[in-house]
Amino acid sequence: MKHLLLILIYKLLMPLFLKIIGVKVTSKKPLPTLTPYIIVANHNSHLDTMALLSQIPAKDLLRTHPVAAATYFGRNNWLSILSNIFVNTLLIKRREEGGTSDALELISQYLEKRHSLIIFPEGSRGEPEKMQAFRKGIGVLLQKHPDIPYVPVYIQGTGKILPKGERLLVPYDAEVRIGEAIHAQSKEIDAILIEVQDAILALKDYK
Amino acid sequence: MLSVNSLNEIQQMILVIIGVLVFASTLFWIMRKIKPGPQVDELVLRTKSWWIMAGIFITAALVHPGISFVAFGFLSFAALRELSSISKNARIEDRSVIFWAYLAIPVQYYIAYMGWFAPFLIFIPVFMFTWIPFLLVLKGHTQDIARSMSVIPTHLMLTVFSISHLAYLLSLPELPGFEVGGRGLLLYVVFLTEMNDVFQFTWGKLLGRRKIIEKISPNKTWEGFIGGLLSTVAAAYFLRFLTPFSAEIALLAGLLIACSGFVGDIIVSAIKRDFGLKDTGNAIKGHGGILDRIDSLAISSPFFFYFVYLLYYVR
Repeated sequence: MKHLLLILIYKLLMPLFLKIIGVKVTSKKPLPTLTPYIIVANHNSHLDTMALLSQIPAKDLLRTHPVAAATYFGRNNWLSILSNIFVNTLLIKRREEGGTSDALELISQYLEKRHSLIIFPEGSRGEPEKMQAFRKGIGVLLQKHPDIPYVPVYIQGTGKILPKGERLLVPYDAEVRIGEAIHAQSKEIDAILIEVQDAILALKDYK
Repeated sequence: MLSVNSLNEIQQMILVIIGVLVFASTLFWIMRKIKPGPQVDELVLRTKSWWIMAGIFITAALVHPGISFVAFGFLSFAALRELSSISKNARIEDRSVIFWAYLAIPVQYYIAYMGWFAPFLIFIPVFMFTWIPFLLVLKGHTQDIARSMSVIPTHLMLTVFSISHLAYLLSLPELPGFEVGGRGLLLYVVFLTEMNDVFQFTWGKLLGRRKIIEKISPNKTWEGFIGGLLSTVAAAYFLRFLTPFSAEIALLAGLLIACSGFVGDIIVSAIKRDFGLKDTGNAIKGHGGILDRIDSLAISSPFFFYFVYLLYYVR
């Protein structure tokens, strides 16, 4: 049931909605046909998650989870149920909100079950067109699972359509650039972080 | 509702459109085979958008005229979205006011559909030109407010008010002895404006030497402009069966479309230069966006509309 609902939303309604509102998705190569992989993107708007989910192959939708902050999307029961049903989120606690390494442990379990993840390493949406420093989590995960590829994504303009703290959607041209799936080359967490960040920024300049 | 007589005229028109498009597509396809290049690609892209326009036009003629109004509304919407996205002049806090600008689109096209002439004339230039500055004032950020006050309404003029005149052609009352009606006029102005672009381009390629305004549009030459103008005037003369025009009026209409189309083209070019862009968007991958498709039409449609209106529809 939930799978059908996700397909209806992200394969039928969402592409049309994104097209009207002005979000264009371009990709160098299609996403890997086999899960798991980790989609890593910069983050300016709730639309980012919507746009990325609309690119997931229908058969993998149920096994792809945007990783989200429990204090935001789980701030009441209704919201956490809704975000589970409609967005298929995996809720975790951020470190400053009392999160522990258990959170990464939980994420790891999903990867071991061959589920894919969507991670925004900036941790929150921030100001439009400004990239914040990456949190360590993505580095830890890629270090722990060197066999799992990551897909860098650069997102531009969604922060104008629906910025943080706003409710009104205003159409603007925005672009989601999906890169090629790659394996992290480095072994150190910090080096992996730099590598991922560079991969995302490289998409920004590619025409 | 349609008489047999007018249906035949519509069928003729549809055949003419398809014939011209097949001819243009084949010609550009061969040109690309012989001598590939970005400028030929541009022509191929143009023909693609003509096929889409023709498809909408034919569907609307055969199914329901309302389809054209919706389609032109979407065209205005996409153009406005592109213009407000590339514009460096509107502020981020103008978002909610720009939202109101979008709301003007269905209103303007509904007015056009109903054929309410006075509201059609004043809704954007009088009402929206007041409403948008008023909303900006209510928001209370005075820094750069004058710039936003002038930029947002101007975007509406360029993308919504202008293009809605194409739609309004379809709402013009019937003239005695002129069976084709607004559909013919619509086809005439769109076709001639597009052809004028192609004629100018082709003559410019063949003979172009003296540049008109190099800083804005380096490919525009006097030879191209005049060659295009003469070709468009000739085309306007031969296509006058789509209009109620006499031979002299058709020649004048061709002149008007060629000149106003050129003005629209360079206005949009100048805007793009200001924003440091060659193409206004990426609606068509790697190439110009919607504004590049409608630049000449944005000026030629209202000019042509009032030319026809003042000559034939004022009692």
